[in-house]
Amino acid sequence: MGYAMQQEHDPIVFQRDGVSLTRSQVDAFGEEIEALRQQVMADRGEADARYIRRVVRFQKGCEVAGRGLLFLGFLPPAWLAGTGLLALSKILENMEIGHNVMHGQWDWLGDPNLDSAHYDWDNTCPAEQWKHSHNYMHHTYTNVVGKDRDVGYGIMRMSEHQSWNPAYLFQPIYNWVLALLFEWGVAFHDLEIERVIRGDKSREQYRKERKLILKKVRRQVLKDYVLFPLLAGPFFLFVLSGNFTANILRNLWSYLIIFCGHFTERAEMFTEEEVEDESRGQWYLRQLLGSSNLEGGRLFHILSGNLSHQIEHHLFPDMPSNRYQQVAPKVREIAERYGLHYNSGSLRRQFGSVMRRIHRLALPSRRGAAAVS
Amino acid sequence: MQTIIEPRRGWFGRLGQALTSPFQPEDYLALINPVASAREIRARVTGVHRETGRAVSLTLRPNRLWPGFQAGQHVMLGIDVNGARQWRCFSLSSAPQSGTLTVTVKCHRAGGVTEHLLERARPGDVVTLSEPAGEFLLPARIPDRLLFLTAGSGITPVHSIARYLENTSFDGQVEWLHFDRRYEDVILLESLRELGRHSQLNARVVLGHQAPLPGDEQGRFDAALLAALVPDAADRQVYACGPAGFLDAVSEWHRAEGRAPLLHERFQPLTKNAGNGGQIRFSGSDLTTEAGGGESLLEAAERSGLNPAHGCRMGICHTCRCPVRGSVRDLQTGESRTVDNQLVRLCIHAAEGDVEVAL
Repeated sequence: MGYAMQQEHDPIVFQRDGVSLTRSQVDAFGEEIEALRQQVMADRGEADARYIRRVVRFQKGCEVAGRGLLFLGFLPPAWLAGTGLLALSKILENMEIGHNVMHGQWDWLGDPNLDSAHYDWDNTCPAEQWKHSHNYMHHTYTNVVGKDRDVGYGIMRMSEHQSWNPAYLFQPIYNWVLALLFEWGVAFHDLEIERVIRGDKSREQYRKERKLILKKVRRQVLKDYVLFPLLAGPFFLFVLSGNFTANILRNLWSYLIIFCGHFTERAEMFTEEEVEDESRGQWYLRQLLGSSNLEGGRLFHILSGNLSHQIEHHLFPDMPSNRYQQVAPKVREIAERYGLHYNSGSLRRQFGSVMRRIHRLALPSRRGAAAVS
Repeated sequence: MQTIIEPRRGWFGRLGQALTSPFQPEDYLALINPVASAREIRARVTGVHRETGRAVSLTLRPNRLWPGFQAGQHVMLGIDVNGARQWRCFSLSSAPQSGTLTVTVKCHRAGGVTEHLLERARPGDVVTLSEPAGEFLLPARIPDRLLFLTAGSGITPVHSIARYLENTSFDGQVEWLHFDRRYEDVILLESLRELGRHSQLNARVVLGHQAPLPGDEQGRFDAALLAALVPDAADRQVYACGPAGFLDAVSEWHRAEGRAPLLHERFQPLTKNAGNGGQIRFSGSDLTTEAGGGESLLEAAERSGLNPAHGCRMGICHTCRCPVRGSVRDLQTGESRTVDNQLVRLCIHAAEGDVEVAL
């Protein structure tokens, strides 16, 4: 009787992997996470501002030095160093600066150079579009199959909830093509070509978006593959190949970090029915369970744009990224107290796990497997 | 307080832009020159001069995005306090013809932006500026006889006008009365004395709490004092700047006796003239608070934990404008009015009954 009463007033709203939480437990979990957020946000100050400006100065310095050295690219050490510095600059700019600035993490500074409304990044994907597909679609509907287009980017099968077709047999191969061309994948996946074909999206909207992307693509290509090589005169090919390599290195690195963030074996997927009428606490819970962290040193965290703290980033997308490292142990402690899995491991282990998922889901799921959730 | 300013570029500049896309060449130049920017007017502090114990004059050298200004205008100064940029409005006190700008900052309250500047400003610092604004200007044809009436920090825009006149072919005559408590309180005193040596400008300090030196006067502004010091005051075009009480007295005199135009610049909201206050509901964040009659909607929002966009906090920059519904009182004029989702400057309006603010 007592149990039935409790059920009525405080129903179980979460049940996975042998953990069940009632509504009030989920609410309490949400409040603890929220309190953590408030605490850090109130503490933002001069040291944070100094940090991000230092990263920007360092990145701009790498860019100048890298491009400068590539003009001497006929000397192999200069080509290697120049390409390396340019790749480093692009990685820092895309990940620790651009991605985080566009999330509004630094809007509180009131600095138009680091303001989400005006910032555009060194990437073929236009900022406006990224803010829609990433900040809104991916961060709101994280790992909700059918809603979050980052689940397989419309070309890969990353969840049992996606129905299988024979094209997925090749995903272990084209996965690597995606990795190499990652920035292009990111730029063009927001066009949602499959939705245009199905008729869910107007051709006019599609053409508008395509125009915007192509404008950004033209500028990026002009800079890296025409103007800088031409400036080098006889050393055209050295600069061209250096810029190309730097872009590829950045693509591979961002692919690696991002895939480890949501597609490890234990990163959970959700259905649209599960997230109907979701409370704030349930949203926090989904962000925690849908993300996975990478362990490493301070430099590794910075190079990953602090997406090595994918869990913290998903709980607090507008918190300055330099603070994730400090809140991570507290998030972990809260998660473990509620019996929730805090998915964290080395890059090697987590990427191995992503590879297993890609290979496993290339094949049709065994009967009944899709019903597990 | 963010207006994005685009620099004009020739073909060389456009090539630089293409090479640095999606950034700007200035983003890289900023590595060696911190005032370089393609987005904002930045200025380097080249001089810090203490005027009085509570006031400091900063000499600024702006980058090439600065459009120049007219004597009597003001500018918003952006300073990072604890990481976050704060904007405050200051009159430019230098002559527009000189290559540098001077603003004189008087500290009003502890812990504020002005105190931060007073204590921490050093040569070499970089600050951000808005474009200049303000209608406290000389007309195209400058009248022969002028009367400057200033009090406290109201001296600054008028100082700029005087310095401007000094460098033009002005051949009229100016009477300038500056009202303050004591000599120690007078900012730009040295410069005022220097200007007063010109035969065309008769500058006198009128003190309220100290015996004056020869040539200066004692007293507070009123019609009798003005008649005694400047017999033809009513026929002179008047430029008045200072605290609200002082400006009220000047306006009253001018209404009764003035025969030439009066221009005045008001700096502080009349927060002491309290109304009834009321209940404020912040509709976007579902918060409600009781506010006193002297508390601005902006202060009430901040007290409730909100962080609305704002700038000068004195009704000048319009950054804090926000739709409001209900009855509000203008803290500058003291007048109440009813609004229905019109844009209201939160910093100079208080609740007068129940109010809903779209924050």
